[in-house]
Amino acid sequence: MDKHPDPVLLARLGRGQLSRRQSQRIVRHLMAGCEECRQLTIRLLPPESPSRHGEEGNPRDYSGSFSRAWQRVEQRQHALAAEHAEAPELMRGLLSQPYEQQLSLVTLSVRYRTWALCGLLLDAARERGFQDPVEAVELSRIAVEMATRLDHAHYGEERVHDLAARAWAALGNAQRIVSDFRSAEKSFAQAERLLKKGTGDPLEKAQVLLLKSSLCGNQQRFREAFRLLDRVVAIGRKLDDPPLCGKAMIIRGFLLGVANDPEAAIRHLREGISQVDPASDPRLLVAAQHNLTLFLAESGRYREAMQLLESARPLYQRVGDRMSLLRLRWLEGKIAIALGHLKEAEDLLEGVRKEFVEMEIGFDAALLSLDLAHIYTLQGRSAEMRRLAEEMLPIFKSRDIHREALAALLVFQKAAEMERVTLGLIRDVSGYLKESRATSLARSRESR
Amino acid sequence: MATLDHPELRESLNILLKNSRPRLERVLKNFEIPPEDAEDILQDAQLTLLYKWDKIRSPESWLIGTVKKKCIMYWRKRRGSLCEAVDTAILDLLAVPQAPDQEKAELTCDLNRVLSRLSTRCRSLLKLRYGLGYGPTEVAEQMGYRTSSIRKVTNRCLAALTRQLLAVGFDKEPVEGEPSDG
Repeated sequence: MDKHPDPVLLARLGRGQLSRRQSQRIVRHLMAGCEECRQLTIRLLPPESPSRHGEEGNPRDYSGSFSRAWQRVEQRQHALAAEHAEAPELMRGLLSQPYEQQLSLVTLSVRYRTWALCGLLLDAARERGFQDPVEAVELSRIAVEMATRLDHAHYGEERVHDLAARAWAALGNAQRIVSDFRSAEKSFAQAERLLKKGTGDPLEKAQVLLLKSSLCGNQQRFREAFRLLDRVVAIGRKLDDPPLCGKAMIIRGFLLGVANDPEAAIRHLREGISQVDPASDPRLLVAAQHNLTLFLAESGRYREAMQLLESARPLYQRVGDRMSLLRLRWLEGKIAIALGHLKEAEDLLEGVRKEFVEMEIGFDAALLSLDLAHIYTLQGRSAEMRRLAEEMLPIFKSRDIHREALAALLVFQKAAEMERVTLGLIRDVSGYLKESRATSLARSRESR
Repeated sequence: MATLDHPELRESLNILLKNSRPRLERVLKNFEIPPEDAEDILQDAQLTLLYKWDKIRSPESWLIGTVKKKCIMYWRKRRGSLCEAVDTAILDLLAVPQAPDQEKAELTCDLNRVLSRLSTRCRSLLKLRYGLGYGPTEVAEQMGYRTSSIRKVTNRCLAALTRQLLAVGFDKEPVEGEPSDG
């Protein structure tokens, strides 16, 4: 047998750092069955579980590793704190420019490409999603441009991919809110591609899955949405993060309601609400309470719905964004219809509808119009019904709405003209509109 | 939890790292990470924690989980490069054109001895690879694997071979748990 290889060379073999000639010599030596060298090379392989030496038997001292790692983290913390201090001013400067100029600044100026600024943009995009979804799309688009241009060497390549994935998911979510589902799908696909190149952080993955599940829900792909939410709950449990599980429960509850299972929806929403942290996510809590009230009302449990609505009213006021307050008024209008307070309901719904049209949230405006149609039917007001039906068509034509949905609305319009609108027809058209949107999307996916 | 620009952040991080250190050390020891590599793993996990500080609800659980995952990835990468080095070395040894007959015979004998300790499937696969010089597509055809899965099967067999060479030796029974199917 050859003389034993130098232990340093053996260690380098384990890292794949030897020349082919050196590797050959060592491997040949090991093939001859050298027990002495095997005592050294065993350490080049991953330990079997549990550790070969047990906790006590492993003499390695990690104190130097901890202190050196901490020194580096401390340095970076100072740099990041400086970034965070500067970010709000940069954000104000950026947002004071027109959109095209904002894009140019991010593309051309290094100053506008920082982790902290990108984080602020994403927070703002999330906020605006509740109030001004079109602006939320623009903000997240800028965040995407910024995140994809962040300095890999400075922030770490995998971390930058994580942030870029977050930005694409935010864009996908904003696109979902404005009903641009096709673009939203593409954005989520890009987010998932980036996650694969990222740190592998399960929390990051969970956030993308949560947002994507809402898209699946809007497209009525409930099975896929529930599968994604199961994965989020599993991650939340593993990371000891009850609010994350709570968020998944709330979205599941909402989707169960959309899928016509209000009892299960109510159960999940209640459980989810008990797990989220009201201080850190009041908007989510408002949305959850809102949907819970809605499903209680739709199940005919008006008293519970009213009680919940009253108890949640201060939270709506505190959050105070336009969309939440609009939805509160819509909900009050629906409950007022159910309780027979038709004048109050009409005033509320008319006001909300006008604002939805202004904000270009066409689909919700049309659905809300059907609630108004409900009132007109109950009161036999055919002239108002005709006017309403005429106003609904342009709203739908202005968006990417499938022609079969338009056909349903035309049926509604004809019925209004002939004074033959019934509550059953309103329910059918409302249900059909929701379904046809999902069907058209499914078809467009197949044709791609 | 303190936000990133908050003066208390440093203190919060310090306390967290102090509290989690015993558990982190246990993870590093269990995975037998060399201290010089542990530094990279710790630093990378802590930097990611710092960047995502305001998004992480349970920093300690997150940090421990992340370090564990990084340890797994560390060994996966190390094992990959080690297996590749062993494979290349064996192919190179077998390809030496002017080796004396006795040397060749000894090499074949030693190689067969190592292979004999592997599962039948791995032995057959590696004999085709080393003995007959077959490429992956030919090995897949001979052994009835799909071309798309042959790389995975070969990697498993190379891992078994490397473990045999570096960790098990020849005096013991064949390695349990080697791949027995594709």
